[in-house]
Amino acid sequence: MTTSLADHLRALPDESLAALLQLRPDLVVPVPADVSALAVRAESRVSAARALDGLDQFTLQILDAARLTRHPEDGTTSTEAVLAMATAGPHPPAPATVRRAVDKLRALFLLYGPEHALRVAGSVDEVSPYPAGLGRPAAELDPRAAALCADAAKLRRTLLAAPPSARAVLDRLAAGPPVGSVPPGALQAPAVGTEDDLPPDTTNGGPPTGSPVRWLVDARLLVRVSTGTVELPREVGLLLRRDSGPLGPLRTSPPPVAAAPREPKLADSAGAGQTMELVRHTEALLESLAAEPAPVLRSGGVGVRDLRRLARTTGLDEANTALVLEVAYAAGLAGEADLPGATTGRYGSDQQVLPTGGYEVWRAMSLAHRWEQLARAWLTMSRQVGLVGQRDDRDRPISVLSAEAERAGAPAARLAVLGVLADLEPATAPTPDEVLALLDWRAPRRSRGREAAHREVLTEAAQLGVTGLGALTSYARLLLADVTEADERGGNDPLGLRSEAESGDPSSAVRALDALLPAPVDHFLVQADLSVVVPGPPDPTLAAELDVVAEHESAGGASVHRVTTASIRRALDAGYTAEDLHALFRRRSRTPVPQGLTYLVDDVARQHGGLRVGSAGGYVRSDDEALLAEVLADKRMEPLAFRRLAPTVLVTPYQVQRMLIALRDAGYAPVPEDASGSAVLARPKTRRAPTRTPVGTRVDPLSTPKLAMPRLLGVVEQVRRGDAAARAARRAPAVVRGGAARVAAGPMPAHSHSDALAVLQQALRDKALVWVGYVDAHGATASRLVRPVSIGAGYLRAEDERTEMLHTFALHRITAAVRED
Amino acid sequence: MSGGPLIVQSDKTLLLEIDHPDAQACRMAIAPFAELERSPEHVHTYRLTPLGLWNARAAGHDAEGVVDALIKYSRYPVPHALLVDVAETMDRYGRLQLANDPAYGLVLRGLDRMVLIEVAKSKKLAGMLGNRIDDDTIQVHPSERGRLKQALLKLGWPAEDLAGYVDGEAHPIELAETGKDGGKPWTLRSYQREAVEAFWAGGSGVVVLPCGAGKTLVGAAAMAEAKATTLILVTNTVAGRQWKRELIARTSLTEDEIGEYSGERKEIRPVTIATYQVLTARRGGAFTHLDLFSARDWGLVVYDEVHLLPAPIFRFTADLQARRRLGLTATLVREDGREGDVFSLIGPKRYDAPWKDIEQQGWIAPALCTEVRVTLTDAERMSYATAEAEERYRMAATARTKLPVVRALVERHPQEQVLVIGGFLDQLHQLGEYLDAPIVQGSTTNKERERLFDAFRSGELRTLVISKVGNFSIDLPEAAVAIQVSGTFGSRQEEAQRLGRVLRPKADGRQAHFYTVVSRDTIDTEYAAHRQRFLAEQGYAYTIVDADDVLGPSLPSFD
Repeated sequence: MTTSLADHLRALPDESLAALLQLRPDLVVPVPADVSALAVRAESRVSAARALDGLDQFTLQILDAARLTRHPEDGTTSTEAVLAMATAGPHPPAPATVRRAVDKLRALFLLYGPEHALRVAGSVDEVSPYPAGLGRPAAELDPRAAALCADAAKLRRTLLAAPPSARAVLDRLAAGPPVGSVPPGALQAPAVGTEDDLPPDTTNGGPPTGSPVRWLVDARLLVRVSTGTVELPREVGLLLRRDSGPLGPLRTSPPPVAAAPREPKLADSAGAGQTMELVRHTEALLESLAAEPAPVLRSGGVGVRDLRRLARTTGLDEANTALVLEVAYAAGLAGEADLPGATTGRYGSDQQVLPTGGYEVWRAMSLAHRWEQLARAWLTMSRQVGLVGQRDDRDRPISVLSAEAERAGAPAARLAVLGVLADLEPATAPTPDEVLALLDWRAPRRSRGREAAHREVLTEAAQLGVTGLGALTSYARLLLADVTEADERGGNDPLGLRSEAESGDPSSAVRALDALLPAPVDHFLVQADLSVVVPGPPDPTLAAELDVVAEHESAGGASVHRVTTASIRRALDAGYTAEDLHALFRRRSRTPVPQGLTYLVDDVARQHGGLRVGSAGGYVRSDDEALLAEVLADKRMEPLAFRRLAPTVLVTPYQVQRMLIALRDAGYAPVPEDASGSAVLARPKTRRAPTRTPVGTRVDPLSTPKLAMPRLLGVVEQVRRGDAAARAARRAPAVVRGGAARVAAGPMPAHSHSDALAVLQQALRDKALVWVGYVDAHGATASRLVRPVSIGAGYLRAEDERTEMLHTFALHRITAAVRED
Repeated sequence: MSGGPLIVQSDKTLLLEIDHPDAQACRMAIAPFAELERSPEHVHTYRLTPLGLWNARAAGHDAEGVVDALIKYSRYPVPHALLVDVAETMDRYGRLQLANDPAYGLVLRGLDRMVLIEVAKSKKLAGMLGNRIDDDTIQVHPSERGRLKQALLKLGWPAEDLAGYVDGEAHPIELAETGKDGGKPWTLRSYQREAVEAFWAGGSGVVVLPCGAGKTLVGAAAMAEAKATTLILVTNTVAGRQWKRELIARTSLTEDEIGEYSGERKEIRPVTIATYQVLTARRGGAFTHLDLFSARDWGLVVYDEVHLLPAPIFRFTADLQARRRLGLTATLVREDGREGDVFSLIGPKRYDAPWKDIEQQGWIAPALCTEVRVTLTDAERMSYATAEAEERYRMAATARTKLPVVRALVERHPQEQVLVIGGFLDQLHQLGEYLDAPIVQGSTTNKERERLFDAFRSGELRTLVISKVGNFSIDLPEAAVAIQVSGTFGSRQEEAQRLGRVLRPKADGRQAHFYTVVSRDTIDTEYAAHRQRFLAEQGYAYTIVDADDVLGPSLPSFD
């Protein structure tokens, strides 16, 4: 009796069902209606593929074994059969391992049923068509091939007779997948005499032409399944695999890593050094963005030119600059803002990328905290930065921060790669190839085709200081654990209570990294060549002071600055006095301050402010100092707020004209001067009447105007129209004119309104003129002689012939209508 | 975190805190691959350059050792990227080899075929390479050996030179350490010995030692090591005669074995001393004396004051790659920025010692550097302010106000021998009259020069005014005070060389004084600051004083 998966599930206790749902969470999105629906979903192609994606290579091979050992009639197999097949090879795995794999498959319900009658869940065959890389049985492919396979001795003979080139093809297909494509025409027999002119066979590599495949097809060792593809029958494949076992080489455990673990301290140290670099580069990059924001391209992202500029200022290459920018953006340190004066808010138009407010907060944090924020952003950002600079489908370059570099799978790829590193011994540094091999073993279906992305993750991790000397650093291990844990915790703690209680404390990763990083220092060493060396990361106040008083020269673990005339001048401009500077150097320097520096400060301070610049509305100057003193002392001049610049110059914030009047009023005799210093003379204007036109050009008012015929006709028409209008106004019927009075007195009788409507409809048909009385929007009554054009939707549209305008009346406002006779 | 003395910066500079107990050990560890850039009093700066790393590879150090040294002495974590970069850079060395093939002569051999193909395609090597012998070997024109090495360096694939050096014509030369003709016995100083050893091991290269530290003896010791005919190139005739005197006194060479090849005499002997000037003299557009290089089968070519190597000699030096070459200098800074060419043509820096170290060992006199700032008179300020830009430096440097200051400085050291050094002849003449002292300048005959120098050495003459001719190679051991009144704009090496005039250790260990008189608030001050850069980086701290303190009656005594 066959039992379906649904029957099986139905018979399970609740806990087992819950365990299945936990293993395959996609089954509950959305929650299935009943167990049959659950079973259907579990056997659906998508769900089966998901379940298979998470399996390692060995478990997949055991599943393949189960598929291969199915009884051709009832489709069941048994643990024993699987075990027999798995251990058939030359290096049989321990039966316990195989059993564990079978149990895992059963837990996932990829295999179900009792041990002696296991069934493979539906659609597994659809998801991976060739179990263990073997083709279909010959019987399903081709009767003649089946006949050959049925005769074991003949099959063996045919195989041995295969020429080496054909054997190479067979070996490749036997290793799986069992399907190969052949160039068109390769299977046709060449025309007689042209055997030697065949094109080289690119598919199978090398000089032999299409003939080896043709030979194989002719010998029935390969079966042609469609034009251009051939398949190796299962029986032939199994025969070819007699050295390695029917499932091919079995790998029960992940491939080993050749390199011995490094000294953990060394790896941590190299990584910590790199974290300092990352933080420093991020800061340099964002400072550079603050100084000159990068415009956002119309297609989104930041252009290559700006990226190059940023690369120059940060001293990184373009790829790493793109990485730092993307990470900073993901960490919320950079963002877009509208250009000042931009008119539209559309993304990509008139926007710039510049540091956010969060950058200020970030800058105030400790080195380890800053790194943590960046590293977390990197772990979770769905961006594949390696794509930047490559071309997209439409052959356009992908720019940094653009939507084209968005990849939803990026965080999963990072966690997968780092997970591989985290599962190794601490400080083990596998080569990238080894990491890829490990990934391939862990989840072959998931990692295949993503090798490039995984390699990128490794280089990025090195760049970010997540790995050091190729090994996962201890603090990154903690961070990784924290991130994955937070994922899980999110499920068990839907209200987020616990995480809230924990926030505020630095995470364990930060504490571990902090211990590796140099402590901030608050002093420097001043030397005679005016260089200032801070022997470690400066604390924020020291950094701020040095920013002002010295030029930055070299950065890294320590920083080197140089005091120059310009930097001292800048400090003086910023409000430091010479005394302040001396005190600063004395306080901060561990070494005696060189005399040259003291002298330099004094010398620059002496010159500082030697020239003064200001603005004034006007000035008074005189060679007579006494006269100026008098003006300055004059009480009447007080409103002008004179200030004495020099013995011979006074300035005022007020305009020259006002000063002139005030001075003159007070009895002084000032003379204004222009920019070149020459006196501006002002003579009073002579008074004149307005200009008049001379007689000769004027028109005689008494002469009659000459009228042309067209103009006269126009006049006549105008007159007639006016006449008609006047008559019409006079003749508005009393019903219409008095409508308003009636409305005011009481509700308009319903019959009169429907009468009016009838009149209007009749007039519309006859295209006749109608007097319409109505109440306008202000409540006033009015009447109009119009010709209705249409009635509908509660409105009357009609034209007024006098004004040649189209009017619209609301029907309910119309009080009366009378036909013009 | 180890509390090491070294801080590795991301721009590949290494900061060495010298007050740290491990500083000395650290210096020994990093010296083979990092170049000393600055050595002020507290923190020395070294730099990791590709050239330095490759030289270390050539001397047998590997990347692992370099990385270990960095990590061992570093105070802070060293960035991973920098370690990777070091390893990658060092890995580029030696993929190509220059070797002597018995059949084809000089060949370029590629241990990495891809690299050989890459460089062979390069346009920069066009004309230097000959026929391709096989996949891994290309013939090289022997005359292009130097240029090829230089070009490969620029391409980033430095070749390991296995072709070796010619021995040259043998000639017996010994150091006369037991004393000669009744002279006192002496021995080579430790650093001189180290310098010679480093040079000889490398085969060819530059030795950097402070002025007055006995570079001539390093040359003599190198000759004794080579035991072959030697060509010595010097800056001028007087310096050449000093070399000759020194060689006769300190080696087994006699007067007859040493020839002088200068404007006056054209002798070619087993050891020949020639001036740069005569070698670069042209007649009808052709260098007439460059044949000297092939006049004998020289086993060693010594370039004195190699930082002054004139451009035509560069060209010729490129052809001398098969001969051992020794460059000597105190200040390998060139304002034309061709330090790199010196390294690639003469050879890399083989030995370098901070000035202050040698001073501490007592081999050069301790010196006190003082900058005296003179305030110009109002009239001088006014004419300076309105002068043309190109006239400004001359006006500021030659201000008359400097004269009384110079006299006050001379009078401050009544017991000492004083050199007054300047760049402008008018000013020197003024000074000569004002101080009543003789002048040595370009137009002074060699005979007159010798006479004046002898008088100065013997103490007959207390004050001497010299022009730019006194910048180099003049050995006046007892001069203890130098006063610089003007110079060649912002030349750093001129300043150092002038200080070098007073650095010869004094008989009684007295201190030397170096004064530079500068006009305040003018371009003179700016140039002075630039000139002092080199010395300040060597740890010489300038004290700045006002002229009034020098002139004033109640001046505080300096020593």
